Amino acid sequence: MILDTLSAILLICGAFFSVTGAVGLFKFPDFFTRVHAASVTDSVVTLLIVAGLMLRTNFDLVTVKLFIMAVFLLLTGPTASHALAKSARHGGLLTLPESKASDEQSKERGS
Amino acid sequence: MWALIATSIAMLSVMALALARALKAETVYDRILGVNMFGTKTALFIAVLGFLGGRPDFLDIAIVYALINFIGMIAVLRFFEYTASSESDNTEESSK
Amino acid sequence: MSTHNNRSIIHIAIWGLVLAIFWVLLSGYFTPLLLSLGALSVVLVVALLWKMDSIDGQVPLLPLNLKFLRYDIWLLGQIFKSSIQVTKLVWSNTTTLQPVMVKLPIDHIPLKARVLYANSITLTPGTLSIDIDDEHLSVHALQNHSIMELASGDMARRASTLVKDGA
Repeated sequence: MILDTLSAILLICGAFFSVTGAVGLFKFPDFFTRVHAASVTDSVVTLLIVAGLMLRTNFDLVTVKLFIMAVFLLLTGPTASHALAKSARHGGLLTLPESKASDEQSKERGS
Repeated sequence: MWALIATSIAMLSVMALALARALKAETVYDRILGVNMFGTKTALFIAVLGFLGGRPDFLDIAIVYALINFIGMIAVLRFFEYTASSESDNTEESSK
Repeated sequence: MSTHNNRSIIHIAIWGLVLAIFWVLLSGYFTPLLLSLGALSVVLVVALLWKMDSIDGQVPLLPLNLKFLRYDIWLLGQIFKSSIQVTKLVWSNTTTLQPVMVKLPIDHIPLKARVLYANSITLTPGTLSIDIDDEHLSVHALQNHSIMELASGDMARRASTLVKDGA
């Protein structure tokens, strides 16, 4: 009973953080900040939801499988974010302060 | 049980939002970001769904989905790291 | 050369053991057919590892001891703390957002620890390591505040002590 309540709390927290990440994906102004929003969902939501599901198992092989899945997601998530940000950077995408600066420069040039 | 249902509904809406982001994106990287988020959320959603149906065997599928998603991401990024600059220039110009 | 060989044999043996345990945990069946299939795939992967080791000649091992566990727990605490910060940012007014991008010096951090450090930065929400070279690590952050925290060097110190003692 206590485990059920605890697991429900963890799952709902995970759901809340994941909705937060999705909203951030739309609200944040440029690509690099949006990566941050997605990385919230990658790390915290994985932890919370897997922990919540673990409390619902009978603590056997299924628990181990959940743990393995969490380790995989926590290892691959940041690697994918980093690869994405790096290739965006090498592809010539500017961060928000840089693009503001270049906008001002082009305005000055225009006037 | 209600917590599992609520979580899976939240996951589904997050997946929908991520897909919407991927469809309506300014640069190719935003698209990949949306698809990546869709993939990780799908893996978690499959796990939750397995518990909802009382069949934790679904976890195997979730693990495989997570791995394939990661490998696919890296493959796509390898491809775009050196070819996307011209396309993102185009999209920037067309948005102006 | 012989010490290197010994080390790589131990390395291969550890990997074989880990992969065998991994197979048993994931399958959970003990029929002869499935066990022999498992043995076959472990041998295949270990053979691939052996070839890769003899090509690149480096045997990277992260120390899996109590210190590493303590670092993980500390990192989990950091992840939760900074996620709550990012969550606040998402639900507040995002037009005032001032992301920053800085280059942190990393030449004082041992080579093995750099991977751990950069990955920890990315895993923590709100900070993202973008590019790395011999002297600098480019970090993008949502707030100036989290850059200050990184620049104080707490995480770098923890990551580098971990590798120094384990190697």
